[in-house]
Parts: sequence; C-alpha cells; structure tokens
Amino acid sequence: MAETLLKIEGLKTYFFTEAGIVKAVDNVSFDVRKGESLGLVGESGSGKTVTALSVLRIVPKPGKIVEGKIEFKGEDLLEKNETEMQAMRGREIAIIFQDPSSSLNPIFNVETQLRDVLLAHEKISKEECRKKIIDLMNLVGIPEAEIRMREFPHQFSGGMKQRVAIARALALQPTLLFADEPTTSLDVTIQAQVLDLLEELKKKLGMSLVMITHDMGIIAKMTTRVVVMYAGNVCEIAKTEDLYEHPRHPYTALLLAAVPRLDRKKKLRIIPGNIPNLIEPPSGCRFHPRCEYATGKCAEEPPVLEEVEPEHFVACYEWKNISLKGENH
Amino acid sequence: MTPMNPENNKPNAGYKRRSASQWAVAWRRFRRNKAGVAGLIIVLAVVFVGIFGDALAPYPAFPNPKALTPFYNGDVRTPPSSKYLLGTDVLGTDVLSDILHGTKYALYVGVVVTAITMAIAIVVGSIAGYFGSWIDNVLMRLTEVFLVFPSLLFILIFVRVFTLGAGAGASFNFLGISIPIGLTIVIFVLAVFNWPGDARMIRGEFMRIRELEFIEAEKALGASNRRIIFRHILPNILSSIIVVASLTIAYAILLEAGVSFLGFGDVNTMTWGQILENNFSDMRIVWWAEVFPGLAILITVFGFNLLGDGLSDALNPRLRD
Amino acid sequence: MIPVALGISIVAFVTMYAAGDPISLIRAGKPNVDQTTLNALRAYYGLDQPVPIQYLNWLTNILQLNFGKSLYGGQPVIYIIGPKIWPTIELQVVSLLIAFAISIPIAVNSARKPYSKQDVIVTSFSLFGVSMPTFWFGLILIIVFSFTLGWLPSAGAVGAAGFLWWGNPILDQIAHLILPVAVLVYVSLAQNIRLIRANMLEILRSDYILAARASGISERKVVYGYALRNAITPALTFLAIALGGMIAGAPMTEYVFSWPGLGRQYVQSTLNLDFPTIMGITMIITVMMLIANLIMDILYVYIDPRVRIR
Repeated sequence: MAETLLKIEGLKTYFFTEAGIVKAVDNVSFDVRKGESLGLVGESGSGKTVTALSVLRIVPKPGKIVEGKIEFKGEDLLEKNETEMQAMRGREIAIIFQDPSSSLNPIFNVETQLRDVLLAHEKISKEECRKKIIDLMNLVGIPEAEIRMREFPHQFSGGMKQRVAIARALALQPTLLFADEPTTSLDVTIQAQVLDLLEELKKKLGMSLVMITHDMGIIAKMTTRVVVMYAGNVCEIAKTEDLYEHPRHPYTALLLAAVPRLDRKKKLRIIPGNIPNLIEPPSGCRFHPRCEYATGKCAEEPPVLEEVEPEHFVACYEWKNISLKGENH
Repeated sequence: MTPMNPENNKPNAGYKRRSASQWAVAWRRFRRNKAGVAGLIIVLAVVFVGIFGDALAPYPAFPNPKALTPFYNGDVRTPPSSKYLLGTDVLGTDVLSDILHGTKYALYVGVVVTAITMAIAIVVGSIAGYFGSWIDNVLMRLTEVFLVFPSLLFILIFVRVFTLGAGAGASFNFLGISIPIGLTIVIFVLAVFNWPGDARMIRGEFMRIRELEFIEAEKALGASNRRIIFRHILPNILSSIIVVASLTIAYAILLEAGVSFLGFGDVNTMTWGQILENNFSDMRIVWWAEVFPGLAILITVFGFNLLGDGLSDALNPRLRD
Repeated sequence: MIPVALGISIVAFVTMYAAGDPISLIRAGKPNVDQTTLNALRAYYGLDQPVPIQYLNWLTNILQLNFGKSLYGGQPVIYIIGPKIWPTIELQVVSLLIAFAISIPIAVNSARKPYSKQDVIVTSFSLFGVSMPTFWFGLILIIVFSFTLGWLPSAGAVGAAGFLWWGNPILDQIAHLILPVAVLVYVSLAQNIRLIRANMLEILRSDYILAARASGISERKVVYGYALRNAITPALTFLAIALGGMIAGAPMTEYVFSWPGLGRQYVQSTLNLDFPTIMGITMIITVMMLIANLIMDILYVYIDPRVRIR
C-alpha cells in the first residue's frame, strides 16, 4: 500500500448564512495516497468542492472550517499560519476548477496569469520565467505558445482555456492536484482530450490526483479508488472496481444505476427525492429519507464508516441485510 | 400524474401559492434587516406628520395671514426658543410650523412624481423589453441621452417656462384637498425627465424574464402576449418595481428641494426647498431656518432610501453561497 | 459622438422654442411694452424666422463660436460664458480626482469584509450621503467653517480685492476650493463607494479570484491586482455618468458658494429666460461631457482587453 499523502479527519466546514448554518461538510474523513487517482463523487451540493477548498483553506465567506484535521505530508494544514499556507497553495496542492471561462482572469493575458503564479513562489529572472511559461504551455498541448501566451482568455476556445487553467495549476509541479469537475463545462469531444491530458500529466509528474465529479463514467475511466459523498457525509470508500462490482451503500448503488449504458437495455433508475437541506439535515443517516432500505435506527443515529472487507468502507447499518446490484448485474 | 385535488386543475394554483409564500419569506427577511425596519419607521412617521402636520403645527401654513403671527408680534428672525422651538425665519413665520406643513408637500412630490414616472416607465419599458425592435432602439438612444446629459438643466428651463403661466398662489381642488398648481407643474416636469432611467431598468428585467423557459412554455401553449406580460412577467418584476419606486420617491424629494432652492419653485407653496431658498441670503443670521428644514429633507430621504435598500435585500436576495 | 451632440442641440433648441417665444415670455410680467417694440426685438434677434431656419442659423454661428447675443443686456454670449468655463472645469476635475482617490481604498476594504462593522458604517454613511441634498451640505459647511469658525471663505473663487486668504494667491485659490470640493467629493464619494463596493463584492466571489488564491498568490495582489482592476472597469463607465451627475449638481454647488462657473450662470440665465446664453451653456456642457466620455472610453480600452479586441 502506497504512502499516505493527505489525511482528512473529522473535517467540518460550515457556512454561516443568514438563513442558518449550512453544514456543507460534516465530519468527513478519508485519505489520499501518493501517486494515486482518487475519485470524489456525489450529487452537486454534496460537499465535494467545499472539501477541496477546505484542504487549500480558501473556503469563501461565510464558510469556515469548524473542526477537523487535514494532515498533508504529516503536517496539519489547519495549524499553519496564512503565510505558510500561501506557500503551500499552487506549489504543493493545486486545483483546477469546473469552468475555465470563469476561473481565468478576463483582463490579464495568459503570460501574466502564469507568471504571477510562478513569481508568487520562486524568485526567477524574466527570461527564465518566459521559458518556463512556454514549456508549460507546450506541456499542456497549446501550440504556438510564444504567440498565444500574449493572448487573453476570451481568445481561447473552451478546451484550450481549460488547458491554460491546467498549466496554471501545474506551474510548480504540485504533489496533489484537485480537479473539480474539469470537463463538465466542455464539449463532449473535448472532454476526452482533457481527461487524457490529465492522466498523462499525472503519470509524467508523479502527482496524486483527486477527481471531483458526479460522472460515474469519468470515475471508472480515471480513478483507482473512490470516495462517495452524500449531503456533506462520506458514505462509502472503496477501490473503483470493488465499488462497481459490489456497492455496499444504497446511495452508491443508485448512483451506479443512474448511469446510462449502451450494452444492455435497462430502465435508468432515478434517485427519488432531492438532496436535503443542509441547514437542518435529516437526523441519523442523511440518506434515510430517500432510502428504500431505511429502518428506524437509520433516522436516529448517524452511521460511522466501517471496514466491511479490506479497503472497503461503508457507513450504513443495513449493509449486511441488503444485497445491492453493481454494474455487471 | 393524476391531480390529487381539484385545486391543482387551475393552471395558476401552484404558482400563486408559491408567490404568496415568497412575499411571506421576503417579509421575514425584511424584518431581520435593522436598517430596512428603521427606514420603514421613518417613512411611517413622515407619513403620519404629512397627514396630521397641519393639526400639529402651532401656526397655519404660509399664504394664510395667520402664518405671519410671529411677524406681527415683532418676532422676525428669532433664534430657537421655548416660544418658537425652531426659531422664526426672515418672513416672520414659525420654522417648526413651516416644516410640519411642508411634509405633505414632500410626500405629494415624492409619491406623484414616482407614480407618473413608474407608469410611463412600466409601459415603455415593457413594450421595449418585450417586443424589442425599433421601439427598443428608440428608447435606448433616448435613455442614453438622458444618462449622458444632466437632465437638471432641462428641468430648470421647463419649470421656469411652465410656471410663468401659473397664477401666483393658484390652487385646484381634488377630492376636497386644495393642491397648489405651481408645485404640480414642477412635479410633472420632474416626472417627464425622470422616467427613462427606470424604463431602462424595467426593460432589462423584462428581457431577463422573457428569456426564461417558463415563458417559452407559455408561448408554446399558445398564451397571448397580453397574458404573458400581465400574468407572468409583470408579477415577476413587481419586486424590482417596488424597490425602484421607493428609491424614486427619495430622489424626487431631493430634486424638488434642489429646484426650489435654486429659485424655480412655487413661491407660494412653502416646500422645504422653498424655506431654504427664502432664507438663503440671510443664512448668516437665520442659520436655524436653513439647518432644520434641510434636516427634515435628509431624514425623509434617508428613510425612503433605507426602506428601498431593505426591500431590495428582502425581495431580491443575493444568494450567499 | 457628433450625432449625440447634434441630437442634444436639437432637443435643447426645440425644447426651448416649444416652450414659447422668449420675447413674449419675457414680456409676461411687463404689460406696458407695445407690439411694435416687440416686433422690432424679434427681428433684431432673428426670432421672426421659422424655427428650422433659426436652428440652422444658430448652428452655423455656433460652429464659429458665435453664440449670439444675450437677451438680457445684449452682450455677446461668448463674453458671458467664456470666463466661466475654467472655474467649472477646475472645480469638477479636482473633485472627481479626489473622490476617486478616496473611494477606492474605502470601497475595497469594506468589500473585503462584507457586513463587518466597518462595512456597515461605510455603507450607512454612503447611503446617508446620497440622501443629503447637495446644496444643504454646502450650507452646513458654510455655517460651520465660514460663519462660525471663520476658517474658510464662504463664497467666490478668489478673494476680494486687497484681501487674500492665507496671504498668497495660490493658497487663496485653494482656500476657496476647499468647501465646494468637499461638497462635490462627499456627494460623488457616496455613489462611487456604493458602486465599487458592489462590483468588488461580486468579483471577490468569482472563480478566478478563488483560483488566484488557490495558486498561492498573495492576498494583497489578489485584491488590488486581480479584483480591483476588474471592479474598476464597470466603475469607469459609471464615472462618465457620475460626471454627468456632478455637472448636474454643479448648478447647486456653484449657486451655494457663489462660484463664478457655468452652473451658476445657467441658473441665472434660466431665471432671466436668456435663451441664447442657456443654449450656449448647454452646448458647452454637452461638449465637456462628450470629451469626458471619450477619455473614459480610452481608459476603458486600456484597462479591459476584451474591448480592445472587439
């Protein structure tokens, strides 16, 4: 088993809004290993992105990390001061956002945006900086780097913009990269290219990748392990294959059944109900109001993750009593 | 899906119910907004004084000779005292009485200017926003001119020219209330120059709503333009209209005060701006006749602005995520 | 730009002549002027010709900087307006620059900590500012700083003959500028702060700010380098409008402080129904606004690359 790079323990990130406290991430624990591709999957609003922002400690107001431990290379990030944290961002841990047209600053050209990141961490000469930027742009597959670096984000296509965003995230060769739905806003044909690029770069640079997505297809293609989140909680952690073969949590099973497949004619399952209000989340297991297997206990006490077989954790009281269908059944 | 009860057969049942609860939610949000509530209290107080000001005032309003009682007592330009709480002005009228009487004029100006402004703005803005094409073009060019060019300059010319014809101190009766003609002319001129900005806002809102899918759906179901405008778009922009109306009242009161202060107002109607104008050249002595009426303007306008801001927060909440 | 100027000139011209024949209007209070004199006056000022011809005449003259003669005293309009242009520009430009210099840091700080105590104070103050009648604030300043404390002059742009404030012509100028500038700054400060703060709030929530923070760029650079530059762009567009507002406020401020500028002259000429002078000032203010807009456009292109390309 590979070494642990990032260990999140009991993380709670709440948003203190006028309407009440939104418990966006509530007691989340999982780890990321060196060099692995981890999937973080769940519906929108399940707390995936907030978890990533918490690790970088850039949760926007009125959000706040209330409790927990985020150990990165053995050090607790929550203990660090702002200056130390600033040095970590971009250099050790980086993130790619969903929509490149909003995550790139519209009024600076690409060169400036990449340079700002480089200069934030290294004292290098103008010439060196320029060379690095060109190398970076070549690395992410932007042709004619020397010309295009002078252009502004709006002059790039969606896929090219996302490549620029990737270049920015990888500028300092971080050891951990969060990719937050990096292909959701792109055309289908471009999606595959960007995913391939990420995979290739991950291998080349030997970093760990956390793929945040709601797309089970991307999970299958890109990751070796998966964390399933629901309404701010982790409900299942398993190797990707295991998860697809034997999902243990009813929510995971429903997620898998909601993926369309060409190879068999089967009715797509919809998950009944909506994602719950996180100000007053359901008591006990947060999924119980939508769960067909829920018993009285589920509404009382929130279940904790237990290891049901090696490397397979699930937070469900009923996992023994129910048999769930995976991908191939 | 089979309807659970006959209520659901009505096409708008669900929509209406939701909108009712939206207002309830807005009210709850508003109540939590201290500044907005303060604004509401100020506005209610001003309205109260506007209605009962004449009864509260120690002396009657100016053109009435009894307003000059302090003058006949030899109390011209007397500083604030227990006899004249806010002093007397250059004409020898009681400043407190003037301010109390002036309140109804301020409200008259604010409300009528806003009513006319919003009426024109809603009609023009809706037409431009809904139908687009040349109407929209003309409106946009027109509002650009108004935005670039300070309309106060035009307002002054119009007010000056139109009030020439109005007889001094003339008034007309409306529902038994005597309304000064000069001031009414000022109000109409202000409204005529005030609507383009609001029309532009309403046009923007219309265009935003028009693009939403439920309008497409309505159209696909064969709803008429009239039905779409009145049943679907207008109710949805009502909240914006209310907010803008509140701010327009504030702005109109300020504008009228300015016009009167510059000497273009109705000299026989003691609006707050008129009091300031009358005493301006002697303000080295009668500072109280400048400070207190101005304070009345400030408090009133501040009240409407606070209310408008509070309403805006309550009705168009920016989701803070 | 030229069509807009032409448009405004036509609107102003039609407005005024729709309002009535100035000669009869002026006569309104003076019934003892006989018809022959009136006709002679009309012919003298060219008012007996059809309105379109009058407009064309006026336009050809104005292009040669001939604004006609004042109906009030018969002086050429250019002599009345000419000396009043500079004082107005001086007042407006000084106020505008100071207002912007002050409002940016205040707005940025209050947007960084929205709904904090400081922010609440700033937003309430700016709301208070937009609620205050411009001229009344001027009156209060005069009462306090001129009449009561005697620190500053209450009227005019220069000291009266033989008396210079603070004993020096330049300091005297500054002394006269302080109060009117304070009024204009306070008024536009409120608007500027509200606008820049609102833009900043929105931009600070945007993804590219989050992304900049995520790449370890310092907070200072994120706020002032990334966010502010984006927030200024819409503010610039507004600056042109703000200038309009300031010029609209100019008559009030200039009137209160007896400032010898275009605004005060405009008030005077309008009260006198001196149409050629009114038209002259209207056109000069229009041209000033258009030049200001042009400068804004140039700045805009410099700041926002998206405009440059299109």
